[in-house]
Amino acid sequence: MQDDVKLGIFLCECGEKISGRMNLGEVGAQLSREPGVGHVSIHPYLCMAPGLAALTRLARDHGLNRVLIGACSDRIMKKKFARELKPLGIMAPQVDLVNLKDHLAAVHEDDSPELTRKALALLEGARASLETLEPYAPVLADFQGPALILGGGISGFAAARELAHHGMESLIFPGARDPGEVLTGLQRTYPGNRLNFRDLEAMLQEVFANPRVKMAPDQPVEYVMGQVGDYHVGLQQSPGGVSELRGSAIILALDREFASEEGWAMGGADRVIDQLDLEERLARKRVTPGSVVFWVNHREEGRRAQELAAAAAWRTSQVLVQNYPQVRPTVLYPADIRLPLTGPDLVEARRRGIGLYPYNPDIHPVVKSGYLNYVNPHDHLEHEVGWDTLVVSAIPGEPLAKARELMRCLPLFSHNGGSLKKGPMALKPDQKPVESLILTGSALKLCDLDEALLQGKNAAREVLHLRDKARKGGLASPLVVVTVDQSLCEGCGLCNEICTCGGVESVAAGNGAVPRHVSPHTCDGGGSCAAACPYEAMKLLNNSSQQLEARIRAILPRMPQDAVLGLVCSWGGQGAAEQAAVKGLAYSSRVYLIPVNCLGSIDPTVLSMAFLNGANGILLAGCTPTASCHYGYGVDHTWHRVYLMKKLLAMSGLSRKRIALGYVEVNQPEAFIRMADSFLDHLDQVGPVDRSEDTKKRLLAAHATMHRPRVRWVLGVSLRRPSEKEFPGDQCNAVDFDESMQDVLREEYLAARIIGALTDGPLNPPAIARALGERSDEVAPVLNELLRDNRIIRRRWEEGYPLYGLTKSV
Amino acid sequence: MVHLTINDREVSGQDGWTILEVAREHGIDIPTLCQHGAVEPSGACRLCMVEVDDGRRRRMVASCLYPIRAGLKVWTESDRIQNVRRWILQMLVDEHPGSERLQVLAQTYGVKASRFKSSRYEDVCILCGLCVRACEEVAGVGCLSFGNRGVHKEVTTSYHLPSPECIGCGTCLYVCPTGAMEQFFNRVRAVA
Repeated sequence: MQDDVKLGIFLCECGEKISGRMNLGEVGAQLSREPGVGHVSIHPYLCMAPGLAALTRLARDHGLNRVLIGACSDRIMKKKFARELKPLGIMAPQVDLVNLKDHLAAVHEDDSPELTRKALALLEGARASLETLEPYAPVLADFQGPALILGGGISGFAAARELAHHGMESLIFPGARDPGEVLTGLQRTYPGNRLNFRDLEAMLQEVFANPRVKMAPDQPVEYVMGQVGDYHVGLQQSPGGVSELRGSAIILALDREFASEEGWAMGGADRVIDQLDLEERLARKRVTPGSVVFWVNHREEGRRAQELAAAAAWRTSQVLVQNYPQVRPTVLYPADIRLPLTGPDLVEARRRGIGLYPYNPDIHPVVKSGYLNYVNPHDHLEHEVGWDTLVVSAIPGEPLAKARELMRCLPLFSHNGGSLKKGPMALKPDQKPVESLILTGSALKLCDLDEALLQGKNAAREVLHLRDKARKGGLASPLVVVTVDQSLCEGCGLCNEICTCGGVESVAAGNGAVPRHVSPHTCDGGGSCAAACPYEAMKLLNNSSQQLEARIRAILPRMPQDAVLGLVCSWGGQGAAEQAAVKGLAYSSRVYLIPVNCLGSIDPTVLSMAFLNGANGILLAGCTPTASCHYGYGVDHTWHRVYLMKKLLAMSGLSRKRIALGYVEVNQPEAFIRMADSFLDHLDQVGPVDRSEDTKKRLLAAHATMHRPRVRWVLGVSLRRPSEKEFPGDQCNAVDFDESMQDVLREEYLAARIIGALTDGPLNPPAIARALGERSDEVAPVLNELLRDNRIIRRRWEEGYPLYGLTKSV
Repeated sequence: MVHLTINDREVSGQDGWTILEVAREHGIDIPTLCQHGAVEPSGACRLCMVEVDDGRRRRMVASCLYPIRAGLKVWTESDRIQNVRRWILQMLVDEHPGSERLQVLAQTYGVKASRFKSSRYEDVCILCGLCVRACEEVAGVGCLSFGNRGVHKEVTTSYHLPSPECIGCGTCLYVCPTGAMEQFFNRVRAVA
């Protein structure tokens, strides 16, 4: 692959904005001398039609397969350049931009020679990265088979009907056998919707009768595997076996159950009931005559829950007046919610004599026997309303057990009091993986029946959209995805645990050490899993660690002694740095920015490699954790890796301050500058690394330690997991865990140093201890470990001591 | 190849290119606000006005949208153009005195504050729509749009609520020519 690279470099003057600040001619001349560079040219405005025309013409004429553009932000401009170059067979990852304008010309006050030198360094880095790239073409997905509608929620029926209308088969797993049974269960998941039951029953009958909708009994889900267009779902069968079903897409229709308040403290026996009890009475047609007051209470459940409760009360009131003329319903609702009623509803209420009274929510209504006292927000006066039956709101509960069962095998997380959500992703649509796991129902966000049915319908449309796209051959995977080298994978499952997108899955069903693979269509390309893999079996295609390493290796020798390597995430750090340029702010040219998609994709070995190869300080700038990390937990994972690097720096006799992680939002350029200034101050205090023979050996040992599966394992399990409770603040055994980690690190670091000492020739234990400046009794157990792991061998005995040497393979 | 003159200088370009593109390619600067290389031109700010003579009559056109034609004569610095440009800047800077970037631009063209008074000092959005177009074309998200009409026209999100579609990429911040988006950004993004 490497021999075929034909790189073209295009530099943009951007009017005078870039060319006025640096000597682009000099930059171009230097770059054109590099091997593998097929073309270098300078243009006044690359982004405008004449520039684009020249770019495509020159790329075609020179048969380029890598294009490096020195211009402005890749966040903004890359899409346009990639679109122009696509007809030539040059994919987006084969195009790279170095932001000469916002990372250099607009923000540094230095003179032209300094900027020219820095521009050259950054461009050389990007060149090295492009040359290391092994292009990976997206995979097209097939889309065959029915849609699998799991979860048993009511929205699933709406989805099945919509799919059937458009000629697509679906497989649904209802807990109920007929429409009547579905409706009986519905009063606990969507209370207060009895008014719609007649329409709903007609719909359900249609679904149950439709030949395109297959029904299957609701069995516990054992596993979900496969990818867009080809999913395998394993269902537990009663005698312990598992049956497998296949489908093209998965719709998860998940509802939550409403709960009655346990140990009801208001008293009043069967005269004070909640919405669920009333539903029960309506089902049995046993409604007590007289005044029924719906009191929308449970303020602690939130405004949305209260609005839904008010709507439920209103609909139930209508059912009551229509069927029981001797019942007089009244709805008492807090004045600060948006009453979900329309004008015609209010007319209907007046006509039917349904009372709708707001109460001041700040003054809690008081219940007395037969009366409810409340304060009217308009006249500030206590009013009382008489009741024969008092109905309080039902409490929204947890998602159903079915949802918890599915959470084990699908990337579903619970947040904010039990609501479910999918792995957090806030990416550009063209970077997003194909969403073929579609969630619907009230388990996500409290909603009423109509909304749930609409969600089901929309879910079906999404599936149909995927089907149509696949038929046209356009269901392609994103460009940057993770892949697993099956020969290296040990099946430890760490990647599975930290994956937020659901791309990582077992090759085969079952527990234990099953090798993993990554579905290219589902992967969001965050790459934290790849950086965590203990055996380094995972690789981020089109954006690999090797590319980043090559880039850093190319830049480091061109950086001054007091400069800082700035690894910035393309959303937070890079965005803020570029915003500084837009706002006309300035910062030190000692910061060399290297954009990465997500900081989480930076393998810890890249950090140790950078220190080994001449870095004096590394600043990482990412998004704010949890609030805005676009890959869920990428920046959190980075924190643990940075912390490990700090430990290794300290062990190597260097200051822990040489590496730091900062958080910044795209709209906080000032914060970015303060961060950079502060880090530069730290670095000035410690000065450049003294590159003595001993330090080099120690940094080499640190780098080797980062590669050790055992260290990577311990690091991996320390990563905050999305499946655990979200950031509990008090971490379980944080100190103990860290101390164990420290012990592992000390051992592995010493082992790496011993191996380093043995590279020149066999040594006996006292000689090893002397060479490392360690005590013999500390070296001895590590030597035994190394011997047992077959990493060193005992050559022979000499003068009463064993003589250890390296095993050939090491 | 289409041949034309800009400021009496012979230049050429391909069919379909605009005056602005050809001028910039030949090192002739025309000021712009609502133009950005990443998105299609829209001719909203009118700052790129130039004077053209297409053989029939001399008139003013927006150079970012006007395609070149053979024999076209273009002037970018004539008295008439300079006057129009000053007036556009005068109006913008008087209506949005809070924008530093507009002030700087106005100063470079010798425009000072005038007798017109603005009641909206804080509002620095000139409604050029660059953020709206960038959100759609560059980010592919489309969570920004224009709301209301006439003097009430504004850049906003659906229902004037923080947008759940917004991915916080900051494209709008980057392209905004006046810095108005910096004030608005946190109201667009659902996560603070």
